[in-house]
Amino acid sequence: MGLVRKQAPQQPEEVLPEKRSTEALREQLADPDPDCRREAALGLEGVAEAVPDLLARVAVETETNVRDAVLTTLSGYDTEQVAGSLAVHLASDDAALRTAVAEALATMPQSVPALLPDLLAAPDHDVRVMTAMVLADMTHPDTAVWLIRMISEDPHPNVVTAAIDAFLPVAGPEHASVLEGAVQRFPDDPFLRFTVQAALPRLSGTA
Amino acid sequence: MAGAATAGTGLSDADFTRFTEYFYKRTGIHFTPAKRYFVDKRIDTCIRASPYDTFTGWFAALRSSDNSGMLQDLINQLTVNETYFLREDYQFDSMLSTVLPNVLAARGGVNRIVGPIKILSLPCSTGEEPYSIALRLLEEWDQIDHVDVEIHGADIDSEVLAKAAHASYGERSLQRVPKPWLNKYFTSVGAGRYQVDEGIRSAVTLHRVNICDTPSMRAFREFDVVFCRNVLIYFDELSSRRAAENLYGAMRPGGYLFLGHSESMSRISPIFTPTRLPEGIVYQRPTGGK
Repeated sequence: MGLVRKQAPQQPEEVLPEKRSTEALREQLADPDPDCRREAALGLEGVAEAVPDLLARVAVETETNVRDAVLTTLSGYDTEQVAGSLAVHLASDDAALRTAVAEALATMPQSVPALLPDLLAAPDHDVRVMTAMVLADMTHPDTAVWLIRMISEDPHPNVVTAAIDAFLPVAGPEHASVLEGAVQRFPDDPFLRFTVQAALPRLSGTA
Repeated sequence: MAGAATAGTGLSDADFTRFTEYFYKRTGIHFTPAKRYFVDKRIDTCIRASPYDTFTGWFAALRSSDNSGMLQDLINQLTVNETYFLREDYQFDSMLSTVLPNVLAARGGVNRIVGPIKILSLPCSTGEEPYSIALRLLEEWDQIDHVDVEIHGADIDSEVLAKAAHASYGERSLQRVPKPWLNKYFTSVGAGRYQVDEGIRSAVTLHRVNICDTPSMRAFREFDVVFCRNVLIYFDELSSRRAAENLYGAMRPGGYLFLGHSESMSRISPIFTPTRLPEGIVYQRPTGGK
């Protein structure tokens, strides 16, 4: 007993599980065992022909860890087609799926900007709230511009509040008027007013 | 300033962008322009050590030949390896006081546990972390004589792994090691340096691996405790997610993951469950599905 050295083989290359073919991995995406499905999703990284299978899996996968693995692999395809197929789920009734997809889209800064005109104009305000979540976590030089536009123009107070939440980490004293403008547009929304009133002293450095 | 070049490498802004995109694709590590000075200096070192006089020639050789030696040299230069013994050791306190007792209980207790408790240090850099774990276990865990423990260290950088295997350290690395431990587990090798004794060196298994590389990470399985500190901060969102997925796959259900004090898994991926322990936050691989 005590500290023991791992028995041979020592090199991880020697004990790598057998690499499965692309076709086998695609079939494995529907395996009854969640661990097998998760392995397949990660194993299909970089396999372009498996993208349709992975996209189809997002809609039906019930295990969150498998779905997250599928989304991680899909995030490597930062294309309009993949991002657009994922963005459909921002309108899902499944809150966990909506959130997981928003987190995945936040890692796709090349393709998400092209979707924004449609997302920001989505008739379902919950989709616009989720879009604010995407922008909150996305690394892109224009996220602040888009969020300011949402704060200044979106007609729904929940969307504006979500955009303010997303915007605050990058906001400065010069943006106080943007936030005050939102309060003036929705004077009867107590939560939005509270959010702005709590944020303004921090922006001006008086908190 | 567009097209600007910095002294030394002659790297233009466009070169810097091309280079960082290439390096990201090969390693998952992303350097922003804020790291320009650091990257320029390291590339300069690589160019001076190569047969090429310019960045253009060196970079072309790097890409066109797919020269793994050149790429490894570059990785070695661009990964930060500064560490020391017993760094952020409140997490080792947590491992001893809460995590290992929980692991032991979950695996049936001292008398019924099957197989060793497995601990992974990734990245392990020059070895201070895995050897610190070994020292803390030997000196302070009352179950160490009743349970087998495997310690593994892994890193992307082959040079630091060679140093970890040699396990010879200077004053700066050893500043926090208590004198009695130094006398008990190290041998003076001159010039103020001390080498970890063979008994501990041989108990730590070292591997070279890229945490973002899913195929090679598949070799790591069933770890009860993983230390992955101060590395995810170098990755962009996608690479961080990949690394998180690979760590998840390396861990036993219910296993514990320690990140650096400034890192948060919650910002990267939802697949781990944050658990608050007296010494701070640790992340667990969930035991069930969903």
